[in-house]
Order: sequence, then C-alpha cells, then structure tokens
Amino acid sequence: MKLELVAHTPNVETMIATSMLTTTSGAQPSTLHDRLLTKPEKVREVVGRAEVQHGNILEHNRLVWILEATSDEVLEATLDTSFLTFTRLDETRWLVSGNLRAVVEYAQNRKTPLTDALVASVKGVAPGIHRFLEDIKR
Amino acid sequence: MNARLLAHTPYEELRDGFSELDLRQLLPHLAYTFAVEKISRACSHQLIRHRVASFSQQSQRYITVKRLNERVVKPPTVDQSETFDELVRKASEAYQKLVESGVPREDARFVLPNATETSLLMTMDGAALFHFFGLRCCNRAQWEIRRLADAMLTQCRDTEPEVFENAGPYCYMLGRCPEGRFTCGDMAEAVERYKP
Repeated sequence: MKLELVAHTPNVETMIATSMLTTTSGAQPSTLHDRLLTKPEKVREVVGRAEVQHGNILEHNRLVWILEATSDEVLEATLDTSFLTFTRLDETRWLVSGNLRAVVEYAQNRKTPLTDALVASVKGVAPGIHRFLEDIKR
Repeated sequence: MNARLLAHTPYEELRDGFSELDLRQLLPHLAYTFAVEKISRACSHQLIRHRVASFSQQSQRYITVKRLNERVVKPPTVDQSETFDELVRKASEAYQKLVESGVPREDARFVLPNATETSLLMTMDGAALFHFFGLRCCNRAQWEIRRLADAMLTQCRDTEPEVFENAGPYCYMLGRCPEGRFTCGDMAEAVERYKP
C-alpha cells in the first residue's frame, strides 16, 4: 500500500484558526482569515489550543491523495470510515479525498498502514494537528 | 450580506493529473470554503439543512449581541413596518436586561428574533455545491438564501469558470424544471439569466 498527498486546499491551519475564532469572537470570518494569513505565529498559538474533539473546526479543508492498494484494502477502509471519498482510477490506483476531521477520527479509532500513512501525509500541511496525532499514538 | 470564497481545492491540478476522470467524478473531491457574513438566523437555519457541508457559526453562547437594532436583517416586505422595529427594540431591551441581571448569554438569547444577524464559515464539496445552487438559485427559493446562492455562484464562476459555467438553478442545469406543479412558470427567463 502506498499513499501520496497530491493536492489540498491552501493554508489549512489558518482556516482551522479562522474557524475557531469565528465561533467565539465578534469579528467577521473573512476579516479573521485575512488577519491570520499575515500572522503565522498567531495561527500556531490558536491551533495549539484546539480541542480536536470539536471536530467541525477540522472540516474546512480538503486533502486529496492517490492511493495504491488492493481492492480488499480499500474495502476495509471504506468499511472503517464513511468520511473519505474513493474513486477508482485503475486496478490498483484510487483517488481518495477527505478533510482533516476524517483523518483524525479514523486514526483515533483504527491503527492500520493506511491510517499511519494518512497521519504522516498531513505533517506538512497541518503540523499542529499532526503533533496532536503523534501524541495520541504514544 | 457578504459572501466570499476564501479557499478551494486546485481544480486544474486535479484535472491535469487525472485526465481519465471527468468533472462529475472530480466534483466530490473538490471543496469550497466561504465566509458567509451578516445573514439572518432564519437564513442560516435554511443553510444548515444542506447536511453534506461543514459549518462554523458565530456562537451566541460566547458572543454578546450588542445594538440589536443595527444587527438585524430586515426583509423588504417589512421595510416600512413599525411592528417589526418595535419588536426588535423590545427584544433588544429584554436581552440586555437578562444579561445584565446575570442570566447566561446562552439563555438570554432565547428572546432574540430570527432576524438577528449571524456570520459563519461554510465548506461544501463540489457535488454538494452544485446541488445547493440547483435548489437555492431557483426562483422558488426564499429571497435571502437565493441572494446568497447567487453571490456564491458569481464568485465560483469568476474563480473557476470551467467548473461552474454549467451550475445554476436545476432548470438551467437539467434543461427542465423539476419543481412539478410548484414551478415558477418562467424557466426561459431563469435559464437566460444564468447563462455565463
């Protein structure tokens, strides 16, 4: 089984911070987003205090992977999680997508080569959430 | 009302990388995040019925509603209505009194009207967004959510015309009206209006 992240929405953690602050501050979400785009240290601070069980903050993004796997491996994944979308490309290749919440909840509930690969794949796009996922693995 | 497309999946990268897939197959893998601002709570209630979507909405548990009379959406049909303004004034007074007397905001908000403004982040995948436009750009949709859907569609077409040139109310997308006996009867006008 091989998984590669091939596309994603930009500024994933900026959007997580925007989502968190939208619910609790009186500022408009577009204002918060624009402000946070210029303040990466603020994004890190806000995401650092994220309570990921409030999963909706992790849903404002999309990650797209290419997966090389057998039909059995994909069947197991689709039975395990309802929130990843699979499209078959050929006998062994699949286009897979979902948001960070799907990754976090799947990784919290199951430990498989696919969940390990999904967690590893988000390190670059969402380092704060990746750290959380590494912590729960320990 | 303000709607702004903040982020989206890069369609061209996926189209070029996976040429074996057509747009219909790629749509579920695309996502669009909007800042939806200063709509009424009545409108946000309609919005969240689109369940294949994600929402993060301003919380009335955490955010105190100040100057309610400046933070309501007033439908054009009640523009001259003193009854509407009077109700908003009384609701505002009641809310302030409750908060000042120590009632938690989460309970004081029970007196606020559906007209109270709210803002939120909304993310939909491409397929869900096409369905949203199909229903909410329709002449039969309520005016506020139709205005919102039109604003969102305009931004989507400006950003990704190849994806959204065929999006619009269902009569525009299907070439027929699926509303049956509830049809607006003006499909030709609607179809013409949504032509890019």
